[in-house]
Amino acid sequence: MTIQRFLEWLAASPVANAMNGPEWAFPVVESLHFIGFAFLIGTIAIVDLRLLGLTLRRQPSRQLQADLAPWTLAGVAIMLTTGPMMFSADAVRYYVNPSFRIKMMCLATALVYNFTLHRMAARSEKPGVAGIIAACVSLLLWTSVLGAGRMIAFV
Amino acid sequence: MSTAIREGALLYPIIGGIHLLAIALFGGMVLASDVRMLGWGLRNESVTDLIEQFRGWKWFGGLVVAITGLLLAWCEPIKLYHSPSFWVKMILFALVGVHAVFFRRSVYRNTEAIDRAPGMPPVAKLAAALSLLLWVGIVLSGRLIAFDS
Repeated sequence: MTIQRFLEWLAASPVANAMNGPEWAFPVVESLHFIGFAFLIGTIAIVDLRLLGLTLRRQPSRQLQADLAPWTLAGVAIMLTTGPMMFSADAVRYYVNPSFRIKMMCLATALVYNFTLHRMAARSEKPGVAGIIAACVSLLLWTSVLGAGRMIAFV
Repeated sequence: MSTAIREGALLYPIIGGIHLLAIALFGGMVLASDVRMLGWGLRNESVTDLIEQFRGWKWFGGLVVAITGLLLAWCEPIKLYHSPSFWVKMILFALVGVHAVFFRRSVYRNTEAIDRAPGMPPVAKLAAALSLLLWVGIVLSGRLIAFDS
C-alpha cells in the first residue's frame, strides 16, 4: 500500500469520521493534547530545571527522573493517542504540511533523545556540565516540537 | 497594538505559542504537586519541597500565561466578549485565585504539618483535586473559544 492510499484510508476511517463528526470532537481531543503537554513536556522540564540546578536541589536528578518517569510515560501515551486521532481527521493535508513534517522530525528526535542521552545524563551520579547541556538540548527540542505544532495551522 | 498583532502574520501564532509553551513548561509542576497531594505518586519528594520549590516557577508561568492571554484577547476583544467559553475560562481563572487564598492556611502555607501527618489530610487532597479540575477546565474552555465563533 502506498503512503497516499494509507492516508486516504486513514482519513476515511471510523476514527477520522468520529473526529470530523460532532463539532466538539476535534477541539476536545486537541484540549487533551494540550493537557498532555503538562504530562510529557512538563515532567521532563522539571528534570531539566533540576539538571540546571534551578529547582528541587535536595533531590538528585536521578531520583526525580525515576519518580517522574511514570507520568512522563503517561504523557507519551496521551500524546501518541490524541496526536494520531487529530492527524486522521485530515491525514492527506497534514502529511504534506511543512510544519507538520518539521514537528514530526523534532518529535522523533526529542523522544529518542529523551530516552537515551537525556536519561543517561539525568541518571548519572554527577551530571555536571553534561547535565546542563543535556537539559538545554532537551528544552530546545521540546520547544521546537511545540513551536512547529503551533505553526501547522498557519502554513 | 491590536492591529499590529492581528496583521503581523507571525506575531499572533508566536504569542499563542508562548501561551501554550507555558502550559507545557509549568503545567508539569502543577501536575506534580497535585499528584503528590492526592497521594498518587512522587512519594520520595516531600509535599513541602513540591509546593515551596515550584511556587516561584508557577507564578512566573502564570504571569507568562496571563500576559500572552491578555495580548491575544487584545486582538479580538469583540469575538471574546461574545464567546461563552471565554467567560467560563475567566471565571475558572478567577476561581484559581480564590482557591489559592482559600487553601492558603490549611494547605499551601501548612506543608510541613502535612508532611508530618500520618496520612494525607483530606483538605490537601481536596485542594489538589480542585486544582486539577480547574486547570483542565481552563484548558478545555480556552480551546473551545475558537469553537464558539
